Amino acid sequence: MKEMIKMVVVLSLICSLSGLTLASVRGVTKPFIEEQVLTYVQGPAIKKVYTGNDNNPVRDRKTFTLKDGAELTVFPFLKGSRLGGVAFESHGRGYGGEIGVMVGFSYDPASDMADVSGIGITTMKETPGVGSRVNDPEFGEQFKNHPFKGMALKSAGGDISAVAGATISSTGTVDAVKTAIATFNEIKGEFSSTWGSQEQP
Amino acid sequence: MDYFVLIIAAIFVNNIVLAQYLGNCPFIGTSKETGVAMGMGFAVVFVATMAAAITWVVQRFLLVPNDLGYLQTIAFILVIASLVQFVEMFLKKAIPPLYKSLGIFLPLITTNCAVLGIAIICQRKQFSLLETVVFSIASGVGFLLALVVLAAIRERLEMARIPQSIQGTPIALILAGLMSLAFFAFKGMTS
Amino acid sequence: MNRLWKEFSKGLWNELPPFKVVLGLCPVLAVTKTADNGFGMGLAVIFVLTLSNMLVSSVRKVIPAKVRIACFIVIAASLVVCVELLMQAFAYPLYQQLGIFVPLIVVNCIILGRAEAFASKNPITYAIADGLGMGIGFAMSLTVLGAIREIFGYGTLFGVQILGSWFKPFTFMVEAPGAFVCLGLGLAGMNALTNWQRRLKGLDAIEGPKHDCASCGMCNIK
Repeated sequence: MKEMIKMVVVLSLICSLSGLTLASVRGVTKPFIEEQVLTYVQGPAIKKVYTGNDNNPVRDRKTFTLKDGAELTVFPFLKGSRLGGVAFESHGRGYGGEIGVMVGFSYDPASDMADVSGIGITTMKETPGVGSRVNDPEFGEQFKNHPFKGMALKSAGGDISAVAGATISSTGTVDAVKTAIATFNEIKGEFSSTWGSQEQP
Repeated sequence: MDYFVLIIAAIFVNNIVLAQYLGNCPFIGTSKETGVAMGMGFAVVFVATMAAAITWVVQRFLLVPNDLGYLQTIAFILVIASLVQFVEMFLKKAIPPLYKSLGIFLPLITTNCAVLGIAIICQRKQFSLLETVVFSIASGVGFLLALVVLAAIRERLEMARIPQSIQGTPIALILAGLMSLAFFAFKGMTS
Repeated sequence: MNRLWKEFSKGLWNELPPFKVVLGLCPVLAVTKTADNGFGMGLAVIFVLTLSNMLVSSVRKVIPAKVRIACFIVIAASLVVCVELLMQAFAYPLYQQLGIFVPLIVVNCIILGRAEAFASKNPITYAIADGLGMGIGFAMSLTVLGAIREIFGYGTLFGVQILGSWFKPFTFMVEAPGAFVCLGLGLAGMNALTNWQRRLKGLDAIEGPKHDCASCGMCNIK
């Protein structure tokens, strides 16, 4: 009996000590991990959707709260501390699950002109060789410098040609971009006050 | 996802030992006789499937809701260790003949990286519970297949004259390499 | 001091894992595609092995024999989670490269094997020396194996091109079959070397180290 108690005590002591240590290590490393994940997982997609910026979009990121209470991390593209565009991730329903799309916008706060500057797929579970081809350059290129108008598949009256045989995946991607445009219009008013303050005198 | 593709991919294309390098210790260690290899292989299929299913539940309903995803490794290994203990006790009491044939392999399985590996792969690929079960059975069968084939080759090798330095583990590894090369031909069958 | 050096240095040659003591083959095969992957994995193993030996040795007297394996697993797994977090925070590309083999350090028999066979029976300083020596030996082996495969498979070393443009990469080496064959030939070479040395001393040749589960120490537990 005595041995039994000792076993339980020792085991629970070791477990709680390890739990404490891990929780504190986790606390210390959390901000670093977030930064690293953004740099190496979303970073390549962010770089792909916009060219001509000279800042580090991941470091300058800001989190916005949307109308429905959701939080959204926005990556700005600055050129000489002037805002030239933004990018953020959006989601659409694909064939195998959710498709994550990084959508880049070129945006000029002064004239309020905005276009989609490019897209990059971040996550997807589409059928390899069929739906996964929304990740091919031929499909993605169509979104390069695309105005908000006509952002729909050709079958829906727009000017994006779907990937052959993968209508659902293509629709999911376009839907994600459309959602992103709606979100962009919702929060674009806050951009210049957020990043405009960095303007040099 | 198409289950047929999932099964073929797990057994042949991404064979757990020959393409993913998991479970090599028992692969080399218990492949001297076909009988032993069979026992070990079935034990792995059995435990890996149960472990993957239970860890899936743990991850989904315990770790993720409490934001404890970073404790995945420690939680999974504890689940597997206690599962193995439990299975051993259960088999001993309930099905003695099965315990006789699988029993000696069970303690080895706690530290078999194929079991923990399959559980983690299922999480990283974000499988559903059904996909997890199908994938882990198929991966276990892939392990069984590779193990039994290697054991059969090694039994033949008993008769052969091999340079002394290559006897034992080195020749087993080189054979595994050749098998892996053969399995390499399956690449490109999916995707 | 003498004994301390002995415990440390045995891992560097006499009991060099995984060539002289065949332990923990999975990471040896999986992460030696390039020299820096092997080196990174080696560093993680040094960290976990040294600390786990230290902790196991320091609590060896209070742990009841029946639950010692469970305690070793908890200690090793906590350290592995620490490594995972630190690697994600400061070396994310390496973490991506090593993939599931980072969490799998916990089932690498070298960790539990040393805890059971050495750290649980020896005082703390020797346990640290043993862990450090074995860890460094393991890291060296991984780096060397990785370097060989990288040179032949990509023509590079630590990511730097060292073979000229005449070189046609021998892709076999960096794929799964190459891993098995390289390790097999490495072990064979090591056995041949041992036997050659023994012959010089006038001794009979011996068979190389066996890889049955007995070598990892986990299997004869209970």
